[in-house]
Amino acid sequence: MNWFPIFYRELLLFRRRLLRLGYVVSALVSPMLYLLAFGLGLGKRVAISGGTYLDYLLPGLVAMTSMTNSYTWIATSMTVGRLHFRTFQVYIQSPVTATDIVVGQILAGMVRGLFASVILMGLGFFLAGGFHFNLMFILALLLNCLVFAAFGVIVGMKSRSHEDTATFTNFFIMPMAFFCGTFFPVDEMPWLLRDIIKALPLTHTNHLLRHPAWNLASLDSLAVLGGYATLCLVLAIIIVRRYSE
Amino acid sequence: MIVTDNLGKQYQDLVALDGLSLQIPAGEIFGLLGPNGAGKTTTIKILTTLARPSWGSARIQGFDVVRQPLEVKKLIGVCPQEINLDRELTAFENLWIYGKLHRTADLSVRIRELLEFGDLQDRADSLVRDFSGGMQRRLLILRALVSRPRVLFLDEPTVGLDPQVRRQLWSLIQELKLGGITIILTTHYIEEAEMLCDRVGVLNRGRLIALDTPRALVAKVGGYVVETLNTGRRQYLLVRDKDEAYARAQTEPAGVIIRQTNLEDVFIQLTGERLTD
Repeated sequence: MNWFPIFYRELLLFRRRLLRLGYVVSALVSPMLYLLAFGLGLGKRVAISGGTYLDYLLPGLVAMTSMTNSYTWIATSMTVGRLHFRTFQVYIQSPVTATDIVVGQILAGMVRGLFASVILMGLGFFLAGGFHFNLMFILALLLNCLVFAAFGVIVGMKSRSHEDTATFTNFFIMPMAFFCGTFFPVDEMPWLLRDIIKALPLTHTNHLLRHPAWNLASLDSLAVLGGYATLCLVLAIIIVRRYSE
Repeated sequence: MIVTDNLGKQYQDLVALDGLSLQIPAGEIFGLLGPNGAGKTTTIKILTTLARPSWGSARIQGFDVVRQPLEVKKLIGVCPQEINLDRELTAFENLWIYGKLHRTADLSVRIRELLEFGDLQDRADSLVRDFSGGMQRRLLILRALVSRPRVLFLDEPTVGLDPQVRRQLWSLIQELKLGGITIILTTHYIEEAEMLCDRVGVLNRGRLIALDTPRALVAKVGGYVVETLNTGRRQYLLVRDKDEAYARAQTEPAGVIIRQTNLEDVFIQLTGERLTD
C-alpha cells in the first residue's frame, strides 16, 4: 500500500487553503445559516421528539455538514485535477495502485468532513449543550464521511465538466440534505417517499447521531452505512482501475 | 529498449494512432515529430500507461504497458505537455510528493541534487504559482527525474517558451543524455529535433511516415534548398548538393536564397503540409 503521498498532498493543499482568510467560515456558512435561521428562530419554542428544536437540529446539521464537506472537497478536487490541472494524471503514471489512489483521496475527504463537523459540534456545545457522544456516534460519523468521500471519488472520476459535478450534487446530495431527517422527522413524510428516504445513507447517519444506542435499530443503520461504504469504495476502485484517456 | 508493435488508438470515429511499430534502444534520444493531431501525445499516453491502446502492443524493458503497468511505471519519468505541477505547493513539496509516489530512496538528498542541477536551489521553498513559465518547465522536467527513471518522456518540453529559455532547456536535456537515460521527446519544433535527437520518427495523421537520423532524413530529400519568390509565392526546390543549387540559382531571373535542408523541408516533402499547420 502506498496511499500516504496521495493523502498527504491533499492535506498540504487543505492546510494552505485553511490559512486563507474566510475559508473556514465559507465551509461552514450553510450549516451556520440553518442553525441561526431554524435553530435559533424556532429554537426553544418548538418541541420535537421530546426536546427543543435546536436539540433536534444540531445532530442533523453535523450529519449534513460531514456529508457535504467530505463529498464536495473530493468531487471538486478530482474533477478539476483530472480535467483542468491534470494533476490526477501524475497518480496514474506513478507506480501506485487504484486502491492506493482511492484510499488516499477518501481519507483526505474524511479529514475535511470531520474537521467541519468538529467545529460545528463545538458551536453546538456552546449553543445547546451537547450531543449523545459514544463509540456508536463516532463510528456513524466516520462511516458517513467515508460513504460520501467515496461517492465524491466516483463523481470526480465520472464528471465530464465542472457543471457535471454540480448536477450530481443537485440530484443526490441536496435532496438528501433536506429529506433525510436533518430538519424534520422522516416518519412524517408520505409513505412512498418515506420508504425511499429510509433507504438512503444520510437517514441512517441522522438516526445514529441522534440515538447512538447499541440496539438492533442502530446496528441495522450501521450495517446499511457499512453497505453503502463498501459499495462506493469498490465502485470507486473499479472506476480508477479502468481509467484510460 | 522500447518496442511497439502495430500500436493503434481509436477515439470513436477518429484513428489517432495507426499501426506504430518502433524499436528504440537504451540510451537514445528519440524524437517524435509531427504537426498537432499527428499522434505524438497519444503515443506518449499509451507508453506511459495513461491510455490503453485499441490494438497492438508496447513494451518497455520487456514489460508490457497494458499487462504490467506497475513495472512500467517504476521505470519511467513523465514530463507532460501541460504544466501539471501543484501551484499551491512549493517546489520542494512537489518533488517530495512525486518521490514518495515512486518510493524514491534518499529522497531529500535527491531533491536537493536536482534543484541544484536545474538551478532552482534558491527557490525550493517558494510556491510554484510564483514561478515564471521557464522555471515551471524546468521544475516539471526535474520532477520527472526524481525517481531516477531509465526512460524519460518529454512531451513538447519547450512549447510556448521564449528562445533563450528554450536553449537553456536543451542544454539540460543534453546533459541528461550524458547520464545514459533513454529519452522520448515529442516536438513540432524542427531545430529542437535536429539539435537533440539521435533518431526521429515523423508522424502524420496517426501514421509513421519516416524514421531515421535527422541527417539521413535530410540527405534523402536533398542536402540543399533553393528558395525562389515567383509571383508573390515562395517556392522551395530541393537539390542534391551546393553545386546543383548554384546551377539552379543561375537560371532564376529573380533573387534566390540557397540554404541547407532542414527537417521542416523533409516534412513538407513527405506530406505536402507544413509542420506548423
